[in-house]
Amino acid sequence: MSDSTPSRKRSKWDEDEEDQPAVVAGPPPKRRTKHKPPPDSAESTPPPPPNVPRPSTHSRYVPPRTHHPPILPSRSVYCYERLNQIEEGSYGVVFRARDKQTGDIVALKKLKLDEEKNGFPITALREINALMSCRHENVVGVREVVVGDTLTQVFVVMDFIEHDLKSLLTLMPTPFLQSEIKTLMLQLLSAVGHCHSNWILHRDLKTSNLLMNNRGTIKVADFGLARRYGDPVGVGGMTQLVVTLWYRAPEILLGATTYSTAVDMWSVGCIFAELILKEPLFQAKGEIELLGMIFKLLGAPTSNSWPEYSTLPLSKTISLPSPQPHQFRQKFQYLTSAGIDLLMSLLTYDPERRITAEDALQHPYFIESPLPKHPDLFGSFPSAAAGEKRRKPFSPSAPARATDYKLLTEDIPDP
Amino acid sequence: MSAALYPLATLAQIERTPSREDGIPQDLEDDLRAYGCKLIHQAGILLRQKQVAVATAQILFHRFWFVTSMKQFGIGDIGMGALYLASKLEECPLRMRDLINVYDLLLQRAAHSLTQPNGEFKYAVMSYFGSTFYELKDALVVSEMQILKRLGFNVHVVLPYGSLINYLRVLGLTTQEEACTRAWGYLNDALQTPVYALYPVPTIVSAAILLTTRHLGIPLPSTAPHCWWELFDAAWEDVWSVCGHIMRLYRPRSEEEQMRVVGMVNKKEVRKWLEERENGAG
Repeated sequence: MSDSTPSRKRSKWDEDEEDQPAVVAGPPPKRRTKHKPPPDSAESTPPPPPNVPRPSTHSRYVPPRTHHPPILPSRSVYCYERLNQIEEGSYGVVFRARDKQTGDIVALKKLKLDEEKNGFPITALREINALMSCRHENVVGVREVVVGDTLTQVFVVMDFIEHDLKSLLTLMPTPFLQSEIKTLMLQLLSAVGHCHSNWILHRDLKTSNLLMNNRGTIKVADFGLARRYGDPVGVGGMTQLVVTLWYRAPEILLGATTYSTAVDMWSVGCIFAELILKEPLFQAKGEIELLGMIFKLLGAPTSNSWPEYSTLPLSKTISLPSPQPHQFRQKFQYLTSAGIDLLMSLLTYDPERRITAEDALQHPYFIESPLPKHPDLFGSFPSAAAGEKRRKPFSPSAPARATDYKLLTEDIPDP
Repeated sequence: MSAALYPLATLAQIERTPSREDGIPQDLEDDLRAYGCKLIHQAGILLRQKQVAVATAQILFHRFWFVTSMKQFGIGDIGMGALYLASKLEECPLRMRDLINVYDLLLQRAAHSLTQPNGEFKYAVMSYFGSTFYELKDALVVSEMQILKRLGFNVHVVLPYGSLINYLRVLGLTTQEEACTRAWGYLNDALQTPVYALYPVPTIVSAAILLTTRHLGIPLPSTAPHCWWELFDAAWEDVWSVCGHIMRLYRPRSEEEQMRVVGMVNKKEVRKWLEERENGAG
């Protein structure tokens, strides 16, 4: 990798993009790079007074035709040289690879397509689409999708990121400093806010899905459970088989089918707590145990704190413990009151009242001392993904993809 | 507003489409595109599929022919694959069996209209253990994958309907029902032409409004420097060209021209046509 910081690198790509003529000649190097409107139209300031001459009268919503990417077929996987296997999950295998043309190190994720009875899996489609439409500083960048010799070999090419936050938290000797936690939380919140404003729910936010490079930047990854949502939410019904248990919001646990962006914000709250505690907040073995832990930390829900509680499908089957005050202060003794307030706004029962990503970014916690640390001042760590063998910490996995698809098309038997 | 831009064909792709490189004349390619889109639309109606999925399928279908020749894949198969894929993209997935049954019906009806144009059409249900289903199913899976692969998995589509409503509101036309309905109809008809793979959405919506206001005699400020389409960042030449594409759909056609495309739903028939033409010329 080059020695430049990510932001500088990105702007270099933008220049590449602008130099490119509309007519493509020969095989272009990188196709899936970010297509950003020119700097002057990218600012979100209100239009300047009419006397000020502007280079273009075009709206920033209507970039010139030449800024649109061309229609280009997938390249071959042989444009990459395979280096080492990073990990294998239910979705497929991830390899580290080198782009033969540019020498860039990338992560290649091979999709499992062998046993598909319904054509290209909708979950993989959602993942690719979500990654392509949610380009952001703190979302892992998808460069392109390449194919092998047969139609069952499909690889998603992503930027290679050295660490995941889960392994880092387990292996680092001391927890993150408050200033570092603030930086990480700001990055996470801006990524989640960006996804939500693009109508994408992530539905599997957890520390092992947050990648971190050696320059103090985290990237949200693994959009395998992500899906588009609309307004009104959940047209067509959404599955409850989402989000890894420890990070699952109470409304999903209680069987809601019309959940929305608030489920991601609950996960963000769990991640915030995990960054502070250096271990997951709710390490439950089952859903009932998890609900018990949530009730213990937050106090049991009341008609005041969660008016819709009694209307949720599974609320009848749960016996609530006797009312007691929340235990946030006892659990997080060294957190400032602003920090406690942010945590409690994220871990709020009522999804309607749970803080949004946009509002959380403006929370006083981020402007009180100590201020967020500049990403460049973060320490660096040896990377397991780049080849160093290390013991993998235990982390439960998300509900299986196959089940997710079956649930969605439950009434559709195989022909 | 989404940060990602939808792909459009490049100048080189527009000037020489793969089908034209293979000797298929432009008017035939345009007719086949339009017919393929009609089949998608008909299948969508029979399946009670949402219009967003149908429109997305038609746009993907048009993009596909800027990177692939009609000699290589048939418009029937690719249309079916596009509708299947678009239904997943729009979160309203279809059952394979349903889609295949509907396409089988449409293709049988097309074949019937070629052989006995005046006879009554009766659908012959495919046999339960016959090979038709499996052949169509294989074609469907291959088409879906080929569309994804040849579009580089960039299946991001922006539909024009939201923009139309906003523009009509800006122009103060929402109270005129006739104008709204007509403009909406032009947008839908434009899905049969390649314009959604050629021009950005604001240009196409402006063209639909231009055609509407001209037909209904609604005056809008149209002399420089006060041209209404400039509000929407559309260039006059482009708007005019989109109007041309749409109006070409309505030109009177001979019986023979209309029937020609019906017999070329498969790549085999396209290849046969090309061979016959070559022999005829040689």
